[in-house]
Amino acid sequence: MKTNLSVPVLLVLASVFLSSCIKDTDFDEAEAIALTPVVELDLIYFNLTANDFFDSTTSNPRLTVRDTTELPFLDDGFAQEDLRKADFLFKFTNGIPRRFDVDFQFLDQENIETYSTQTNVDQGTPQNSQLTDFIKIVEGDDLIELTKASKVVVSVTIASSDENLEGELNLKSKTTYYLEL
Amino acid sequence: MKNLLICIIALWTGEVLSQNKQVLYGLEEVPQNLLLNPGSKVPQKYHFGIPFLSQIHVSGGASGVSVYDIFGESNVDINTRIRNKIFEMDDKDFFTINQQLNIIDFGWLANNDIYFSGGMYQELDFISYFPKDLAILAWEGNQNYLGYPFDLGEISMTGEVLTVFHFGANKKLSDNLTVGVRGKVYSSLIQFQSINNTGTFTTRESTNGVNIYEHELQNIDVSMQTSGYASLRDADGSSEVISEILGRTFFGGNLGLGIDVGATYDIGRYWTVSGSVLDFGAVFHTNGVENYEAKGDYTVNGIELIFPPLEDGEPTFPYFSNLEDDFENEVGVDTLQTSYTQLRPLKVNGAVEYRFGQPLSGDACDCYNMGGGLETGQSIGLQVFSVFRPKGSQLAGTLFYNRRLWDFLTAKATYTVDPYSNSNVGLGMVADLGKFNVYVAADNLLRYGNIAKAKSVSLQLGLNIKIYEQ
Repeated sequence: MKTNLSVPVLLVLASVFLSSCIKDTDFDEAEAIALTPVVELDLIYFNLTANDFFDSTTSNPRLTVRDTTELPFLDDGFAQEDLRKADFLFKFTNGIPRRFDVDFQFLDQENIETYSTQTNVDQGTPQNSQLTDFIKIVEGDDLIELTKASKVVVSVTIASSDENLEGELNLKSKTTYYLEL
Repeated sequence: MKNLLICIIALWTGEVLSQNKQVLYGLEEVPQNLLLNPGSKVPQKYHFGIPFLSQIHVSGGASGVSVYDIFGESNVDINTRIRNKIFEMDDKDFFTINQQLNIIDFGWLANNDIYFSGGMYQELDFISYFPKDLAILAWEGNQNYLGYPFDLGEISMTGEVLTVFHFGANKKLSDNLTVGVRGKVYSSLIQFQSINNTGTFTTRESTNGVNIYEHELQNIDVSMQTSGYASLRDADGSSEVISEILGRTFFGGNLGLGIDVGATYDIGRYWTVSGSVLDFGAVFHTNGVENYEAKGDYTVNGIELIFPPLEDGEPTFPYFSNLEDDFENEVGVDTLQTSYTQLRPLKVNGAVEYRFGQPLSGDACDCYNMGGGLETGQSIGLQVFSVFRPKGSQLAGTLFYNRRLWDFLTAKATYTVDPYSNSNVGLGMVADLGKFNVYVAADNLLRYGNIAKAKSVSLQLGLNIKIYEQ
């Protein structure tokens, strides 16, 4: 009698577990999960004075100054796969009474240019600095080229220069990275 | 990243409640009840657990979210649902997995009326609190959170796999009182913990005007201790990994000591109180330890170009490498081999039980047990359970109803309120079929119709040989 009863009882219990199920769910939706963080990061900054554009030892104007920094995060796999858009904001404050051309040349590890952009900076005066904002939105094919680069060369070219020129040119910049992970 | 997220969400499906075995506690018919209260009443003279089958326990849960919350069919976009959950949960919410497998389990009543029991089991335990700020940072980025200090101190997790060798003694001191104690030796296979972290990450508009923003890491003290991981990482091939793990299983790992104590006391004929403290102990991690630690403060404003006058072909300053070096010096991750002591998660059980119904002995007089509790076919009671975790103890309260259905079959139903839910109904059944003792216990039965809606599930089952007479 005992064993006869135990069989149905255990069967009932087993059926509770076996009948347990996961319903009304759609795990295919996992494919649609996307993290889309928007990350604000500082980029480069500089302070150039009018003296930087005149070589006092040779008494010749130095019309273009140039500097380079590596940006190794640009061409790593993470950026290449997950970056959807990059907005650059360059804020110039010009207290030098000259216009400037500024070039941003992005180079890959072989120093071959993959992407470039340029802008002009309005002239100001030491007493009344001129603000120039340059916004560059990079997406699509341009972004593919940008993320092949690992360094940027910044060239600042002054229209003309002499030893009496005064004032400062200042740059602040940031990038907004739109990611999709 | 996405795959990791999917893995974590998928894990929730299999996860079950923490370490509470509320159905099994106090169920004297199951010999492994002694592992929950070494001072439980012991009705049998011998028991021998079928190796690997005497107790299989899996449990896990997520306090703030169920699989259904994320994957339930809905018109709302899945990413919106995840985002809503991230903001709904807080840093006290947690995910946990606990699994135990009894490898050997035995016990016998010695001539001095002490019931000795011992054995070996393997346990896996994992808990991670929800690092809400980091989740927001990963999900949304920092753009909408300028000036907000993301709290890195919310990172808090521990995980371990260990084997436990235990031996205990249980004695009925008087008609009313049964006490027991169990000593444990832990052999840790692998362990990691990242607790007591501090620090914030803030992006704000520049305060010194150097650039547009400043990114600040402040008061950083974030660490992760690991033991048993470095040597597995360096092992050459899977066979070496397996032999290493097997070695650690049998006292080859980092060792620790612990103790369980418990007691059961009958108040009059119908009332019983019982309680136990489990895993009061620690594991001492001295071998194969590798700790990672980052400490300090750091503020970055971007990269300053200084346009040095250069000859043709002369390289400029390595601005980015300098920045990296600076970061490494200030808040870089150090790898250390410092030994550490890890406290085992302490568990406390308590219960009060009232018995009613027909006495099992047939009439009210049990002449061998004049002062003790009367055994009847039914009882109700209240249990509490607490486990001490990195951010404080987690509590659960249980109402239960226990009924002897037939001589050979006992059932226990529970209703539990815990951090996971307030609608957790559990059921356990124990059958003594000849010398075989079979039991199965599970909770969250109301959710078995659709387990995806459960925030936790717990299941124990086992098979023993049990002998009542000499």
